[in-house]
Amino acid sequence: MSVQAVLAPRAETPAPRSFVRRYLPYLLIAPSAIMLLSLIAYPLLFALRSSFYFWNLQIAPQPLAFVGFQNYIQALNAFDFRDALVNTLVLSVSGTAIEFVLGLASALLLLRALPGMNVVRALLILPTTIAPIVVGFLFRYLYDPSGGLVIWLLRVFGLPVPPQGLLGSPHTALAAVLFADVWQWTPFFAIVLYASLLSVPDEIIEAARLDRASPLTILIRIKLPLIRRTAIIIAMLRFMQLFNMFDVVLVLTRGGPGTSTRTLGYSLYEQGLINFNIGLVSAMTWITVLIVNIIVAIYIFFAFGNEEW
Amino acid sequence: MSIDTLGLSRRSVLKGVSGTALALSSFGPLVGPSRALAQGAKVVRVLSVEDPFFFSMKAMIPDFEKETGLKVELESLSYDALQARLVSAFVAKSSDADVIAVDQMWLGQYLDNGWIIPLNDYIAKDKDIDFGDFIPEVLYSSNMWRGQIATLPMAAYAQGVMYRKDIFDQFKIAAPPTQTTEAWTWDAYLNMLKSFAGKEFGGAPLFPTVVCGSQPSPIVHMFTQISASLGANWFKAFPKAPWNFEPQLTGPAWIQSVNLYRELYKLSPPEAINYVWFDAGTRFAKGDVAMFYWWTPYFYLVKNSGYMTGKKSDVMGKFGVGAMPKAAGVDQTISLGGWSLGVPSSSDKQDAGYAFIKWATSKATQKKMALWPDLNYQFSDFGRASLYKDEEIKAIYPYLDVQYDMMKQGNGKVTRPPVPGYTALESVLGLTLNQLLTGAGDPKAALETVNGLFTSILKGNLMIPYQKESFDDSLGAAKALISKLSKS
Repeated sequence: MSVQAVLAPRAETPAPRSFVRRYLPYLLIAPSAIMLLSLIAYPLLFALRSSFYFWNLQIAPQPLAFVGFQNYIQALNAFDFRDALVNTLVLSVSGTAIEFVLGLASALLLLRALPGMNVVRALLILPTTIAPIVVGFLFRYLYDPSGGLVIWLLRVFGLPVPPQGLLGSPHTALAAVLFADVWQWTPFFAIVLYASLLSVPDEIIEAARLDRASPLTILIRIKLPLIRRTAIIIAMLRFMQLFNMFDVVLVLTRGGPGTSTRTLGYSLYEQGLINFNIGLVSAMTWITVLIVNIIVAIYIFFAFGNEEW
Repeated sequence: MSIDTLGLSRRSVLKGVSGTALALSSFGPLVGPSRALAQGAKVVRVLSVEDPFFFSMKAMIPDFEKETGLKVELESLSYDALQARLVSAFVAKSSDADVIAVDQMWLGQYLDNGWIIPLNDYIAKDKDIDFGDFIPEVLYSSNMWRGQIATLPMAAYAQGVMYRKDIFDQFKIAAPPTQTTEAWTWDAYLNMLKSFAGKEFGGAPLFPTVVCGSQPSPIVHMFTQISASLGANWFKAFPKAPWNFEPQLTGPAWIQSVNLYRELYKLSPPEAINYVWFDAGTRFAKGDVAMFYWWTPYFYLVKNSGYMTGKKSDVMGKFGVGAMPKAAGVDQTISLGGWSLGVPSSSDKQDAGYAFIKWATSKATQKKMALWPDLNYQFSDFGRASLYKDEEIKAIYPYLDVQYDMMKQGNGKVTRPPVPGYTALESVLGLTLNQLLTGAGDPKAALETVNGLFTSILKGNLMIPYQKESFDDSLGAAKALISKLSKS
C-alpha cells in the first residue's frame, strides 16, 4: 500500500466536522478579539503615531510636522517628570501595600461571627461606589485646617499639624492624598479577600488547629497561599489604578504645593486636556505604558514564576 | 485544542490587556464624545461655563424663548470640562453647540483654528445692537483677535480691592481710595496690611489679607495683577507688532512682583497656599481677613457665606471696595478677564446663535440679570458702559463706579497674553510661584529657570522665532474698529 493510498481514505473522513472542531473556538472568540482590537489597539496605535508628530491643538488643529523622538525627549526632560514619577511610584507601591494589609485585616475580621457583621459588610462597599472626584471634595473638607474632622482628630491626639494644613505642606500633602485613596479602596481589598477566604475549606483549617497551629501560622501557611492568586491579581489591578491617579490629586492639590503631589496621571491630564499638546501627551502615555508594563512584568515574574495563571 | 497553540497563554493575554487598558485609561479622556446631535430648526444649543453669570442668564432664558420662539437647550460645565468638550467637538468637526462660552485665553486658538466665526459682518449689519456701548477695553482684552470681533462679552471682570469697614474703623485706619491715585501704591497697600498684623478682631485672630496660592491658574490670575501693575512684560514684543515671543521674565519688575506676592502670602492664612479662586473669596466672607484684592465678581460673591449659596455671609454690609494700588511712576494696568459668547463654525444655525448672543449681551437682558433677586443679587459683570451709570442697578450694586474705573484701566492682553500655547506657560509660572511661596528659593534664580523653560516651550510650539504674520494689536486700533462697526 502506497502512502497515498493510506492517506486518501483519511482525507475523505468527515472533514467538515473536523474543520468546525478546529476553528469554532476562533470563530467564537473573534467578536471579542475584534472588539478589543478596535477599542483598545486602535487608540493605542493612534497615540503611538501621534507621539512622533508636533501636534498641539493650541497652535493648529492638525499635526504640523514629523519630529521623530522629540516628544519623548521633551517628556523625559520636562521639569516635573522626575518628581511626578517618584510621587507616582510612592503612591502606587505604598498605596497598594497599605490597602492590601488593611484590607486583609478587615477581611479576617469579617470572617468572625461578630454581631452586626452583615451591616458592616454592606457598609464596606460604600466608599468604592463614590466617584474619586467626590472623594476629593469630601477630603478637602475633612482636611480643612480651620475645622476639618481629620485635623481635629490629629489635634485631639496631640499630633502636629502644619500651619498651612495637611494639603498645604510639601511634607504632608502626598500622605494626605494617599490617605484619601486608602480610605476609598481598602474596602475593595477587604471584600475581595473576604470572598477568597470564604473559599478556603474549613476541613484544612480544622486539621491545622488539631495540629495546634497558631492563628498566625494558619494565616501565613494555609490561608494566604490558598488565596494567593486572587491577592496577586487584585494587588496588580490596584497598582495600575494608582499609577494613573489624577482625579483626587486634581481636586485636593492640583499637584502642589510645588511638585510634591504631582503624579504622571496629573501631568498627562495637564498636557492633554489643558495644554492640548497631543503629540507630547501621546509620548507621555507610551512612556507610562512602558513603565507600568515593565513593573507589572517583574511583579508577575516574581509572584508566579513559571506558573500558569 | 488549547489557545496556547496560537502562542498565546492566558498570562500573555492578560499582560497585553492590562497594558492596553492602562494606556486607554490614560489616553481615553482625549477621545471626546461625538455629539453631532440632530436638532430641530427651532432649537439653539448653548454650552456655557458655570460661572456666576450662568445662573441669572439661565433665569432669563424664558424671555428669549418667548421673544423669538426659539427653544434654548442650555448646558453648563466646569472650566476644564468645557474646554475639553469644545476642543474634542472642534477636532471631530461635530456640531456640538450653536453658542459657546469662550474664555479670553482661548480666543486666539479658536479663531486661528477656524473653530469660531468672526462676528464683524453680523455686527456691521445689525442696526440695534448698540455696539458703541461696549467698553472698548473689555472688547480689546476679551473679544478681539487680529482685528476680528470673535465674541461678545457676557461677563466682564476687572480686579479691585475689598476691605472690612468695621475693622478699619476699629483700628482707625483710613479706607483705601476709590480711585487710582499716585499715593495709592503697592507699598502703601502693603504697609496698610502690615498694620493689621498680629491683631485680633472680635476676639479672634485677624489675618491682614488672603491670596490665592494654588497652581497654576489661580495664583497666576492674582499674581499677574501685581506684575502688570509694576510694568512687567511677558514677551519682548506683544501685542504690538512685530511680535517677538522671547520671554522677559528676568526683568526687575518680575522680581519685585514675586517679592511683593511673597510678602502678601506671609500676611495671609498659611493654608492659602492651596487656595483656588473662590477659596480666597470665601475666606474673606468668613470675616477674619481685613483686606484683599480679587476679580470684581467677588464684590458681590462675598455677600454669600459660600460660593453661590445665597446665604448671607458675616461680612455682608460690612465691607467696602477700593481701587487697585499702582506702582509709583508706572501707568496703571488692571487685569481684565471674563466670559464671552461665540458662534462655532460647525454650527448649522449660526444666525440663531448670533440672535442668542445679541440678546444675552444686550443692555436689557444684562439689566434684568442684575435685578434678578435670587442668590442675593449676583450679577454686575457688565461689558456695557451704560449699565454702570444705571441708577436702579447702582442702588443694588453701590460699587459700580469703582468697578468701571478699574475696567477703563484694563488691558487683558498685557496681564495674561492670550497667545497660542499660553496654558503651558501658565503651568510653569504657576508652579514656580507656588514653590516660591512655600520655600526660601531665590526669586531671581527661579525666574531665570522659568525664562529658560518658557523659551523651550515657545520654541517647541514654533513661536520663537515667530514665523506667522504679526498684527499690531493696540487699544487705539480696537477703538477705531469699534467706531467703524458702530457707524456702519
